[in-house]
Amino acid sequence: MKKISPARLSQLLFLLLFLVLFVQTEYRGSDQLAAAVNSFFRADPLVAVTVLLAEKTMVWLVLPGLLLLGLSLVLGRFFCGWVCPLGTILDLVTPRIRKRGALPLLKGNLKYWLLLPLLGAALFDVNLAGLLDPLALLVRGLTFFFYPLFGDSARQVWVGLYRLLGDNRDYLAPGYALLRDHLLPFRETFYPLALLSTLLLVLIIVLERYESRNWCRNLCPLGTLLGIAARFSPLVRRPAGLCADCGACRQLCPTTFDQELLQREECILCLECQRRCPAQRVTFGFGRRPAGEPVFLQRRVLLGGLVSGFFLARVFRFRSPAAQARLLRPPGVTDEQRFLQSCVRCGECMKVCLKSALYPAIFESGAEGLYTPHLIPRLGYCEYNCTLCGQVCPTGAIPALPVEEKRRQVIGKAVFDKNQCLPFAKKTNCIVCEEHCPIPQKAIRSRTVAETTDDGRSVRLQVPYVVTELCNGCGICENVCPLEGKAGIEVFAVNDRSPLPAGGEPPPGGGEEGDPYGGAG
Amino acid sequence: MDRRSFLKGIGVASLLAEGLVRRLFAREIPVVAVSRDKDYRRAAVRAVDLLGGMKRFVKPGDVVVIKPNMGWDRTPAQAANTHPLVVRGLAEEALRVGAKKVKVFDRTCNDERRCYVQSGIAAALSGLDRVELKFIENERFHPVAIKGGTLKSWELYGEALSADVFINVPVAKHHGLTRLSLGLKNVMGVMGGNRGSIHRHIGPALADINSVLKSHLTVIDATRVLTAHGPQGGDPADVKVLDTVVASADIVAADAYATTLFGLKPEEIEVTVAAYRRGLGEMNLRRVRVVRG
Ligand code: SF4
Ligand code: SF4
Repeated sequence: MKKISPARLSQLLFLLLFLVLFVQTEYRGSDQLAAAVNSFFRADPLVAVTVLLAEKTMVWLVLPGLLLLGLSLVLGRFFCGWVCPLGTILDLVTPRIRKRGALPLLKGNLKYWLLLPLLGAALFDVNLAGLLDPLALLVRGLTFFFYPLFGDSARQVWVGLYRLLGDNRDYLAPGYALLRDHLLPFRETFYPLALLSTLLLVLIIVLERYESRNWCRNLCPLGTLLGIAARFSPLVRRPAGLCADCGACRQLCPTTFDQELLQREECILCLECQRRCPAQRVTFGFGRRPAGEPVFLQRRVLLGGLVSGFFLARVFRFRSPAAQARLLRPPGVTDEQRFLQSCVRCGECMKVCLKSALYPAIFESGAEGLYTPHLIPRLGYCEYNCTLCGQVCPTGAIPALPVEEKRRQVIGKAVFDKNQCLPFAKKTNCIVCEEHCPIPQKAIRSRTVAETTDDGRSVRLQVPYVVTELCNGCGICENVCPLEGKAGIEVFAVNDRSPLPAGGEPPPGGGEEGDPYGGAG
Repeated sequence: MDRRSFLKGIGVASLLAEGLVRRLFAREIPVVAVSRDKDYRRAAVRAVDLLGGMKRFVKPGDVVVIKPNMGWDRTPAQAANTHPLVVRGLAEEALRVGAKKVKVFDRTCNDERRCYVQSGIAAALSGLDRVELKFIENERFHPVAIKGGTLKSWELYGEALSADVFINVPVAKHHGLTRLSLGLKNVMGVMGGNRGSIHRHIGPALADINSVLKSHLTVIDATRVLTAHGPQGGDPADVKVLDTVVASADIVAADAYATTLFGLKPEEIEVTVAAYRRGLGEMNLRRVRVVRG
């Protein structure tokens, strides 16, 4: 067996860590998740830079990302060769893929044309970095596609066993419980955009047909950002170029040696050239940067990139009013604009959501909101005592709140649809929504009225109404409404998302009389 | 018939016609045991002892299902779920008299993982050998035909149906639609499908379910009860501490007695009345022997 290189060892450990943290991003019996679950995003320099550009104030949560950027100024793009899990996956598959030679299309300044508009858009308040951030791409692919698929398959086998063995299956139950509690997703959730998320990952792998680490060296905006930092790094390789008598580096190096000279912004410091140089000539050390490195960014690209970011930010603004009325953001998000500035679309909140209430937006909040989380009550609801999404959000886009505060966060407001709701439309009792409303004082109440049905019977009917001042829009009412398809009560987005008052009772003047939807119908 | 005139009718009819018939054919007068104790585990065990002890219900080698109400993400003090010590006491008793296995489950309303943990029941049962706290698994629901009822058939939970002994352990509490949620209502936790849809005719529907899924023993946890904003409450101001556990082999009688703890009459609870009419038990407390301890 070949001796494993330190870089490879580090890569494998980080990949393992990444997967462990991914699996751990789930409720496992304790209200508090280990703070570490989103460390990869917290340490992601692209996330850090775009969030800071968009918010224009210091966001302490992303400090690790800044530190990593600082470290890259000293050490270069080591992150790509030693840490990045997507890079590791590419390194693992690429030897099995026959190469066809680089695609000229991807060469040149393309990567800057990807990175700079992202930074430019962030500067103009639209943070699209997550669309192309490698960690986000990977987590989304896993969250939306592979993990649900994995969970569903495991579960199908388990259900199949029941069909086969009946109650005898119970002898195997402890084993399944172990899997379920530690490895599988608890709920099988299927997501929109799952296909797109996987396609992007597959595409990145397909690109390996042309050259190794194709994505990393020609497209990845995080890598490009780190590459820019690497330009300033005093860590240099000697010799700086290919030796006249050898040139083995061309074969050994996964990223930079398609030219004669080391491309510092592409060198991922895997140190393969040092390890396997036939003449043992290669060394890495701190020193002066070699003369003759090409200027790396023409002003044209820099300006053009940033300016197109500005246009990107504008063009992506279109939103459909109808979709927006139902655009419910996770608890604690009060300002849509700020949310779009800081959400990196990593998918962590959707992965962790206890009741599978959060889904990636497609165009509900305009193109700029692609992949941002929103709540779909008919599919899941926000669990009253749960605070997980705020805990895992790496940028504070969803604030991490103590549970008492989270309960009072307003996601939207519930409204009855009297054409659907049974007591109104059919004059039959129901109030499942009232039953489930978690607000201790009940935001859904009912009054008892004597009614005559359409066929002339007189009935004692419990007619529900919403106490709007108490409703936090958690969506459980809409979720549990026994009507098929469309519910008789629906949560709509509201502009004023200031938290409910502490203490429970509606403010004076509000309450039953003030309820706009309380009419007996 | 609307509910009010229905109830009025029942008041008379049950006392005359049905009551009379019942009395004529009555074999055994149902016993309701009521025990008060600040130690809830002891209260539960004592209530069962007053009925003749767990051995009267559980034979050695039996598979026992204990069905508490643990449907809500609430703590024991909030009185939305059965108290963990009541559940623990019953599980231990069942084991003591030789149960082969005790299974505990509920189809929860909130996230099941949170409910099992928050209710305190997961912690209370941990470490008990041969006691399994299980999550509901959808494939185990089977359609069951119901004769002569409002519901023609419904999906019920296999493990509940196949148990040798089904011990129904509700918490007594307020409920927006049925006024109270007690033993008869607690069986909703083994119903599959869109169970919210039975709210249209909840009394007869629950009687139907109880007619096919018999509770061999009903132990009602009234150690602290939710008096308003049920079934999940959440506000400590709605909770009243009674330190009481009610037990009976007759689920209707148990419910009828527990109703009085809220200052209500059994006839006022539609579900109780419907079950009584269906012949599932006795709701007239004058024809019930109440033993206390
Ligand atoms: S949306 Fe609600 S239920 Fe989902 S993770 Fe956030 S707090 Fe928990
Ligand atoms: S809101 Fe969700 S997708 Fe956006 S950054 Fe936070 S956790 Fe990630």
